[in-house]
Amino acid sequence: MLRENNGALAPRPRVDMRGITKTYGPIRSLRGVDLSLAPGEVLGLVGDNGAGKSTLTKVLSGAVTPDGGTISIDGEEVRFNNPADARRKRIEMVYQDLSLCDTVDVAGNLFMGRELTRSFAGIPLLAHDAMHERARIMLQGLGIRIPDTHALVGNLSGGQRQAIAISRAISFEPLVLIMDEPTAALAVAEVEAVLEIIRNVSKMGVSVILVTHRLQDLFLVCNRIMVMYEGTNVATPEVASTSLSEIVELIVGHKFEAASARA
Amino acid sequence: MPRVSATEAASLRYVKQSFWKDALTNHPGVISIAVFVLVVATTFSIITDNFLTVHNLLAVLRQAAPLCIAAAAMTFVITTGGIDLSVGSVGAVAGVLASTAMHGWGVPVLPAIMLALLVGACIGSVHGYLIAFQGIPPFIVTLTSLFIYRGVALLLTEGYSIPIPSDSILAFLGRGWVLGIPMPVLLAGATLVAAYIALNHTRFGRYVVGVGSNAEGVRRSGVSIRKVRTLVYIWSSVAAAAAGLILTARLGSGSANQGVMFELDVIAAVVLGSTSLFGGRGSIVGTILGVLAISMIVNGLILAHVSPYYTQIATGLIIILAIWFNTWLLDRPARRVG
Repeated sequence: MLRENNGALAPRPRVDMRGITKTYGPIRSLRGVDLSLAPGEVLGLVGDNGAGKSTLTKVLSGAVTPDGGTISIDGEEVRFNNPADARRKRIEMVYQDLSLCDTVDVAGNLFMGRELTRSFAGIPLLAHDAMHERARIMLQGLGIRIPDTHALVGNLSGGQRQAIAISRAISFEPLVLIMDEPTAALAVAEVEAVLEIIRNVSKMGVSVILVTHRLQDLFLVCNRIMVMYEGTNVATPEVASTSLSEIVELIVGHKFEAASARA
Repeated sequence: MPRVSATEAASLRYVKQSFWKDALTNHPGVISIAVFVLVVATTFSIITDNFLTVHNLLAVLRQAAPLCIAAAAMTFVITTGGIDLSVGSVGAVAGVLASTAMHGWGVPVLPAIMLALLVGACIGSVHGYLIAFQGIPPFIVTLTSLFIYRGVALLLTEGYSIPIPSDSILAFLGRGWVLGIPMPVLLAGATLVAAYIALNHTRFGRYVVGVGSNAEGVRRSGVSIRKVRTLVYIWSSVAAAAAGLILTARLGSGSANQGVMFELDVIAAVVLGSTSLFGGRGSIVGTILGVLAISMIVNGLILAHVSPYYTQIATGLIIILAIWFNTWLLDRPARRVG
């Protein structure tokens, strides 16, 4: 499914980051990183701690302003000074389940900050029924089964909460979805459910950047895996033409042989 | 069931419950305080002759009105995870300010009432600014206000009681009757309805719960949580001023000593009504029941001829027992999650 998007049909990448640099004091966190992402593509982003994964995703989500380099979205060069700028360009970041309110129900969390209202005697009141109905449809569309949108999020399992957090991000109709460790600390069956959601999201044409330490997950959902090492991207092999051991080698730094073989 | 995903398993395990069981799962605190109110009412109906009379119950409600109004606003404050210890003092300032304005400065009644409410709004704005924008803990901010505004009330009255004209609208608000119901009860009822709608059916109420549950998450959703916090303290002080005005009107004069320890009654009523002191969980229905419980206990103990020396002790003990029971009930879903 990717090759159609990635090949001749979509020559222009959805996201094209070139030569991104960022320096924190004496630390050169990013030393000229390139990243390209096709529509609907799932890109795994891996690297050891401190390799620059999180800085790179923060640059793309607007939380960090890069010192140099360019970012283009659908061919148009953009500049993000804050997360709101990135959001306007429809780049969403899933903050694990940290953004959910335990004592608010599922629908309330999905609509937090942009609740539907209906006017009653001039007073805007929450349109509870409409929100629950749309929440149900939204979850169903993503293949997420939550028994009741009236359930408080605090009573859900870790996987269900993660599913809600992802649905929330999806509901903003993003072009690009960045997920940071969405499967960390989940039970085995729940990881499977979250990966299924990622596949569904990608089928909808949303590009996904998946940051994770669980390398085995990458081979289940990703089209390509981008490996970062000491602030640079060393290789971005297609999943079909790489192996777990090669990725591990790239991560720990036998970069030259592996990178030359792939690049 | 290895072939069933976790989310599917959850839906398979989900059991549709009856209304009452559902209520007990989702609002155990409110149900338990409702039972508590029934027990209190039944007990006093049996051991006293005149507890269960329309006259006495209306008197209970009339006395409970200022508590209701302040507690409705306090429910919002506590639901955000905050606290407002200044409500008694702010009420006193509002009461003596209105009566001094009318009696001493010759201000007409309506502007005097508006002035008192406006001063309440200003005090609340300062609280909101210090808490939401400067990050000072609400306990500290409102504790200092408890001292400051009690002092301001003393300064304004120089220790005297300032009478209000008994034919003014203000006196009517405190002592009048409309359609067989005391005016303060009508005012309290209107406040509670507004508070219920605001908490459960408006964006503001949703954000109040959200701030108490996960302020950072709500902030990331693009909500100005500082604005939500500030508004909550403004409403609390305005409600405290309104409660103070009604108390002044009922007593017939503004006194710097009115509403001493009122804040504790208010907080006790809210907490008794199952609103969580840790924030994120609030119930106006619970607050109403909490106010009723406290007011009935005070009234019933008097009717039962319990020595006034024991009244405070008994009230405190009954409240802590009820809250203990409530904590035990509320803990159950938490344990199930963990």
